[in-house]
Amino acid sequence: MLSYILKRLGQSLITVAIVIITVFLLLRLMPKSGYFTREDYVNMDESARTAYLRSLGVMDDPVTQFVRFAGGVARGNWGRSISVYPKSPVMTIIKEKAPYSLWFGLAALVLSMGLGLTMGVLMARHKDGVFDTFGTIYVTIVRAIPSLIWLFLIQQWVTGLLGWPMVFYEDRPVSWILPTISLALTGIAWYAIWLRRFMVDEENKDYVKFATAKGIPRTRIMRKHVLRNALVPLIQYFPQQVLLTIAGSLLIESIYSIPGMGGLLVNAIRQQDNPLVQALVLLYAVLGIVGVFLGDLLMAAVDPRIKLAGAQGGQE
Amino acid sequence: MKRRYLIVALGLALCALAAVGAQDRYNATYTAEGSSLRYFYTPDTTDQRIAANTQDGLVEQDRFGRFVPSLAERWEASPDSKVWTFYLRKGVPWVDSKGQKTKYEITADDFVEGFRYVADPKNGIKNLSRDIRRMIVGLNDYYLDLVDFDAGKIKDKTRDQLLGNFTKVGVKALDTYTIQYTLARPTPYFLSFLVMELFLPVEKEFLDSVGENFGISKENLLFSGAYYISDWQRDKQIVLKANPLYWDAKSVTVKTVSLQKIVDPTITLQMFQRGELSSATLTAEQVKALAGTKWADNVFMAEPSTVTYWFVQNFTSANPEFKAFVNNLNFRKALYYGLDRAKLNELDDPYQPAATLRNTVVPEQAAFDEKGKDYADYPEVKAIRDAGNYYDKAKAQDYFRKALAEVTDGKGTIKGVQPATVDWKPIAELKIDGKLPLQMVYVYLPGATETKRAFLFKAMLEDLFGKENIQVTLAQVIDDIFAEAVEPRRFDMLHDNFRFGFADPSAQLGRLVTKGAVNDGEFSDPEFDKLVDEASQKTVLSERFKIFSKAEALFIDRCYVYPWRMGGASYMLSKVVPFTYPRGGFGITRFKYKGMIVQKDPLTSKQYEELKKAFYEEMNKATAK
Repeated sequence: MLSYILKRLGQSLITVAIVIITVFLLLRLMPKSGYFTREDYVNMDESARTAYLRSLGVMDDPVTQFVRFAGGVARGNWGRSISVYPKSPVMTIIKEKAPYSLWFGLAALVLSMGLGLTMGVLMARHKDGVFDTFGTIYVTIVRAIPSLIWLFLIQQWVTGLLGWPMVFYEDRPVSWILPTISLALTGIAWYAIWLRRFMVDEENKDYVKFATAKGIPRTRIMRKHVLRNALVPLIQYFPQQVLLTIAGSLLIESIYSIPGMGGLLVNAIRQQDNPLVQALVLLYAVLGIVGVFLGDLLMAAVDPRIKLAGAQGGQE
Repeated sequence: MKRRYLIVALGLALCALAAVGAQDRYNATYTAEGSSLRYFYTPDTTDQRIAANTQDGLVEQDRFGRFVPSLAERWEASPDSKVWTFYLRKGVPWVDSKGQKTKYEITADDFVEGFRYVADPKNGIKNLSRDIRRMIVGLNDYYLDLVDFDAGKIKDKTRDQLLGNFTKVGVKALDTYTIQYTLARPTPYFLSFLVMELFLPVEKEFLDSVGENFGISKENLLFSGAYYISDWQRDKQIVLKANPLYWDAKSVTVKTVSLQKIVDPTITLQMFQRGELSSATLTAEQVKALAGTKWADNVFMAEPSTVTYWFVQNFTSANPEFKAFVNNLNFRKALYYGLDRAKLNELDDPYQPAATLRNTVVPEQAAFDEKGKDYADYPEVKAIRDAGNYYDKAKAQDYFRKALAEVTDGKGTIKGVQPATVDWKPIAELKIDGKLPLQMVYVYLPGATETKRAFLFKAMLEDLFGKENIQVTLAQVIDDIFAEAVEPRRFDMLHDNFRFGFADPSAQLGRLVTKGAVNDGEFSDPEFDKLVDEASQKTVLSERFKIFSKAEALFIDRCYVYPWRMGGASYMLSKVVPFTYPRGGFGITRFKYKGMIVQKDPLTSKQYEELKKAFYEEMNKATAK
């Protein structure tokens, strides 16, 4: 097990290094004109533009810039934003924004799992019955209609009907409800449909038929065998889902005016904010890789048949 | 005289307060997050609003747009308008983010320090334009020396030694309360530069103590303005509270300003309708949707801005067909009379498209002479302004026929043009044959309105002059019209807009001369250049304006660009009583909330029109000298 962990750690470090170096070099290929607006071109002459670029630190050669970035990260200094929030330390920005995405994301994940898994179990147990029909209708609606439409309708109708605030306010807990539900709606559908599918698959397997023939009650078979086995493939993604809640949701944070991480990376790329992009990519890459790794460990812990140290083990 | 108007204004304000139940809170929204609280760097209006309300400069604009004392209680200019001396109010404290008095008093050194901060290239203050660097004595040399040092070109001096040269720059504290600016050339309109963020003060000891963290949070700032930032949450909200120690605290009617980031205009409108906001700007679609509802009577059109939209044509185009035509005055006049401006404007304003047309490059209500007369009322430009939508089909076709006679051989061949391929990839690629129809490329930005306008533009010209004579190719850029079309010279015509920088026609005309900063068409007219140069030498504003107005009339008559529409003039729903707060065409002090009255109920359009009429009458009396 230890050798497996060490091997995965080594692979992970190489992956993170490749990701960050690629992103770092791609950012340096972006045209410098991206740092200037039309008005800037009117106001600034060549010398002023060059001086401005130098003040941002983008005029140094890429190797110097990379050494500065890597050295800074090693010392815990992630640098300062250069164009999205000029001069603000990158870590301060992330510390301010991440908790919103994290808390909303976690609450939505709990809700998704709670309702989604329950719905999945009911759909599988009553296959082709009322629960299954309604569950399928729900899943189809959520996945087929563009989310912007129903998210917007929920915001307009529910807040209007109940007199709730239209956007998020930190000091008004009632305003936390709709964003959480909105975030959870697709998650509920995802958990429900996949759990149903895996449970139905399991139910058709020989060991279930054997258990049924032995006279073991259906409830016990479903709980002890079918559900447990059906959860294995789902549980693998759980750590990743938890960790990546930090990335936030561009759409929901935007319509409910939540100052989270959603859209930060897109903004940073659009405005060529190299330190911010590098920090976010590094953060997301590390969390993604850790998530996959934890998913493998969790899967092995839940299902004793899976041996990570073996040649076939793990999620590659 | 002044006092009498003040009393009248105060009386009106009090009546309004009593009648409508004034609110002491103003709730509004913003769509784009300000980049930082560093008030010397304000790339968008959110930054400008915060800077204007939390920091005061030497002068500000009042509700008539006049320059009035702010932290300077008085000033004087030398007869040649080159030396300007400002005398500060005494005993005005800097306050912190709790609204409490600090140990610092606002002094002349703070203005010197502010400018020193702005002039250091390391601080990345983009708005320090080359015009301003050349305006103040010694500033350009000081700045360029630092630039050269940072580029490694100066090795025999230290950076500190170069920073020490700031004493040679024409920004000096004569004593604790007196600051003097020495300018390189006569600048009678210098006050209009002082309403910009570049001329705000900063406390040196405090700045040194926070260093690089200056302005990254409210705690890393001190405040000299009517409000202090009591709450700031990145990408969420900004709350301003009235500064109890403000030198003009009695004028601050709204005690709390709450600005929330709301990106979607639909949500903003809903929040206004639910009573959560004090004002909401409407899109054209929203105005249509409100027609017939109980809100229809509350919709009004706000004042236009000094931003002017114009069509640019490329006089040095790599498309030889268009180059041959555009350098012909009759062709340009054909376009001048052939563009139905009101029709084009229906895309932005389907209800009053003719109300927001602007035929001049210098806006109205932006530059006034020493007698208070608006530059836009000088006869040469007034005639152009009053022409409204001068679309004239017959005239346009007549000019086009003349152009054809001059540019072609009468058999459809364009003189001096050989078949060629115009490679403007990725925007456009044209195969031209040197024969009619004239092929021209119109470049436009993405977005529903700009796309519709491009199609309308094409249809308008092809219908008017005939498809056998003109063929417009539409080419869309991805994101940035300057970087993708103007700079690489990939356009025949495009649509652009420019804001007005300071209270002098040279703010626009001075940068449209040969090789001027916004001369994107690369035209050159020595006669126009000479008039602009001649006007710029005059220090008496009325003499200056007279020559500038001749220059602008000539510029418009020769159709170098086609100005056609004002910026601003948005439809709104609001509880803010209009004309109770500062106004102006440039700088940041026009964004001050000082004096603003917020009433309990939304304004009606009738109320708005009545207040507007009364205001203009009042302003005409107040500004007449």
